[in-house]
Parts: sequence; structure tokens; C-alpha cells
Amino acid sequence: MQLAQVILNGLLLGGLYAAMAAGFSLVWGVLNIINIAQGSAVVLGSYVAYFAWRYAGLNPLLAVALAGPLLFGAGWVLQRFLIQRVIAAPVLITLVFTFGMDLILNNTMISLFTADYRKIEGVFPTVPLHFGALTLPVDRLLAAAAGIGVAFGLHFYLHRSRLGRAIVAVRMDRQTAELMGVRVEIIYATTFGLGLAMAGVAGCLLAAIFPTSPLNSAYYLHIAFVACVLGGLGSVLGAVAGGLLLGVVESLGALFVGAEYGTTVAAVVLLLMLFTRPQGLLGRAGYE
Amino acid sequence: MTPGLVVSNLSAGYGDVSVLTDVSMSAEVGVITAVIGSNGAGKTTLLRSLSGLLKPRQGSIRIGDAELSGSKALDFVNAGIAHVPEGRRLFAGMTVEDNLLMGAFARVAPLAELRRDLDRIYAMFPKLAERRRQDAVSMSGGEQQMCAIGRGLMSRPRVLMIDELSLGLSPVAVDFLVESLKTISSDGVGIVVVEQDVAVALDLARHVVVMDRGRVSKAGSSSDIAQDRAIRVAYLGVD
Repeated sequence: MQLAQVILNGLLLGGLYAAMAAGFSLVWGVLNIINIAQGSAVVLGSYVAYFAWRYAGLNPLLAVALAGPLLFGAGWVLQRFLIQRVIAAPVLITLVFTFGMDLILNNTMISLFTADYRKIEGVFPTVPLHFGALTLPVDRLLAAAAGIGVAFGLHFYLHRSRLGRAIVAVRMDRQTAELMGVRVEIIYATTFGLGLAMAGVAGCLLAAIFPTSPLNSAYYLHIAFVACVLGGLGSVLGAVAGGLLLGVVESLGALFVGAEYGTTVAAVVLLLMLFTRPQGLLGRAGYE
Repeated sequence: MTPGLVVSNLSAGYGDVSVLTDVSMSAEVGVITAVIGSNGAGKTTLLRSLSGLLKPRQGSIRIGDAELSGSKALDFVNAGIAHVPEGRRLFAGMTVEDNLLMGAFARVAPLAELRRDLDRIYAMFPKLAERRRQDAVSMSGGEQQMCAIGRGLMSRPRVLMIDELSLGLSPVAVDFLVESLKTISSDGVGIVVVEQDVAVALDLARHVVVMDRGRVSKAGSSSDIAQDRAIRVAYLGVD
């Protein structure tokens, strides 16, 4: 029964990881940009939720409606007017670019908000739900469900809407998409905006459960990276699968090897995955 | 004869390499025009210039009253030019129907109107209707070419340009596509086909443009071109 509880905890964590990884994976797949600033963008989303709760009493799960559009706009402008200038450069150049973005964003947050941990409290009932012997904290359940829900929403947007289809088309064949009348630079801006919006959403959900600090950003980036590679590059559903797998693996690792080794076990699983199935759980071989 | 696309004195190339020199041609609405010529004659470069993928160095590209030379690909689509690229270039991982819908991307039309256009394409190519939910690149070459042509038609073009219609396709598939294109053209769409198989080109087209080393070396009705001794020797291997 303890095992079932640990797996459940892992899935709840994994739901948050899925939201963190989905946008990162989309941006990597479509723009071929490894966005090092994704972790800091998640933290920025957490601050939006924290201050909206602190000064307006807003539920952090509802702050999603605030952080999402805000970060979407920031990402759109950033891509359209700044990153677009280096988009055709080798991946190392854009990597250095987003690394610089991360330094600026992270240090700005430290100087504005300090590195103190801030925690949203008293919003959710502290008494967990019980299903037989299983315990289900309300805040974690809601946050994980929201994370997976938003990731699925992104997936359906990409496959059911006109602009979403164009994003997928640009990913598959940029020049042919141009022949269809797609303006690639607008699609790039929209995609980067969606990537940051997902980070903002994930940040709100995390803020509902965990304390917020700019110091978390490197860990969040690590999660997004691992979940994205586990699930398959560029696939939103892959990021969900990778996120859930990562959450469960970390929890099981903590149970069987020791609490301090959760992340290490996850890294070992990532290596095994790269040896045996480099395209990831739901990715396709040869896409990138 | 309604002039669709009129190209005058077009020159284009890549970097320091000049590919097209002083090319003039036209494609009338409701007529099939074939562009033939050996490898490296500049046929694909011509189509790339005529769909805005490549900015020409000189010359004019007009459709109706609009001058398109120097415009973006989107302007060419909006002006009524559709380009079916060499090798089909369908969007992998997307269904047949999503590929067709991508063809209508620039139109921003209501869904009901898009549905009617899809149904027209499915009526023309019933194979695509059967496979509408299937990954487009999982189909046979002939079916993929139908999908690529259907995708081009979804933009409701005045002129549909097809690069290498028959390359790598079975003779049965080519015959079917030739008949389909004749129907499409009789519905009032101008068609420009780049075709390596000169026999197919002469059967399909009413008007033929022969290209050689980046220039138009001959142009005329397909019956005239078919009678031309130099063409028969060079491309058909008969005297």
C-alpha cells in the first residue's frame, strides 16, 4: 500500500512536471531553441501567483488566467523583436542567448523580490482526501489536474485550430508552410509565447504547493529538460508522459534508494532511455 | 484567352550563381502550360520565383493587375498562385485532412465553406476521402501527389503550379492525375506543370515552354513543339 501511495505522489508531482515540460518541448521542437530561461519563467509565474494572492487574495490556480497571457505577451515580443534576429544561427548561439536572458531575468527577480522563500498559505483545505488507505492532498490534486489539463489543452490547440496546425506545419517543413501563406516569424513568436505561457501556468500551480524563490529556477529547468527528453522532443503529449514518468521515478527512487537520491535515479533512467529509445516515449525517430 | 500569370524578363539566382536569364512566359486561366527542359535548366528556380520563395533580381511577375515581383510568399498565395513543390512536401505527422486545411491557411474562411471545398477535393480524389484521418506521408506516391494537388487547390488559386508531376509515380497514377488536371483546368484554373517526362507533358498541356540553361529556348502550342525536330531528337529520342 505504501508503494501505491508513493506512485500516487509521483503522479501528482508529475502533473506539475508535465506543465513545466510542455512549453519547453514545444519551443525546442518548433524553433530549435533550448530555452535556458524556462526555469526562471516558471519562477516569474510563481511570483505572479504569489503577489496576486498576497495583495488581491486570488487563488493561485486562478492566477493561471493572469500569468498565462502575461508571459505569452512577453514571449511573443521577445521572440518577434529579439530572438528572431539570431533564429537562423546555430543552436549554440540561441542557447547562449537564452542563457543570457535567464541571467537577466533571474537576477532581476533576486534584486526585486530577494531570494527569500515565499509561501502561499490558507487557500486550500489542509485536511487531505482519503481513498481507502490512500491519502490525497487537495492542493496537489487540483494543481496536478490543472497541469495535465492545460497541457492537453495545448495539444488540442495545436491539432484542432488553424494557427495550431500552422505551428505544427512550420515545425515539419518551414518552407512549404511559407508556400501555404504562413508568416513564419509570426508563428515563431506565437510558439515562443505559448512556451513561456506554459511556464507561467506551471509557476502558478507550483506556487500553490511549494515556496517560491528565484533559486528554484535551475531545478525547474532540469525538470523540464529531463521530462522533455524522456517524453520525446517537440511532442506535447510526450512531455506529459515524460513528466508523469519522471515524477513516479523520482518518488520510487526516493523510496527504494533514499530520499536524497530521487533526482539521481531520475538521471539514471534518463541515461537508460537515451541508450535504448533516444527518440523518447512518444517522439518519432529522425525528427530533429 | 484570359491572361492569368504573366512573367516578363525575369532573372533570378542564388548568391553569385545566376540561374534564370530574361525569362518571359505566360500561363492563361483555364489552360495547361508545361515547362520542359533538361536537369539544371532552371525549371524549379522559375517556380520558386513565381511563388515568392525566391526574390527575383529583375523582371516582372504579374497576375491580373497586381505586380508581385519582390513580394512575400503570402502575397503570391493571396493573389491566386498555388505551388505544389517537387517531392510533394506534405506535412509529416499530420493527417490528410489537416494537410488539405493547411492549403487554405491564407483564406481565413468560415468552416462551412472549407468543408464544401474539402468535399469537392474528396469527390475529385476519392482515395483521399478514404484516408482523410491517416498520416499523409504514409500513403503511396500517387496518393501523396493527389493530396499535394488538393492542398494547392484549397487556396482557390487562379494558377496552380506543379513541380515534377510524374516523378517516381506509377504509370496508372500518372494517367489518373493527367485526367484530373484536365478537369481542374476546364473548371477555369490555370495550370503550370514542370514535367521531366516530355511525352506526358505533350499529352497534358496545350501550351509548352522549353527551357535551356536558364533561358526560354522555345515556346508554342504542344502540337507545334511535338513537331519540332530538335525537340524530338533531344527529348523523345526519335527523329
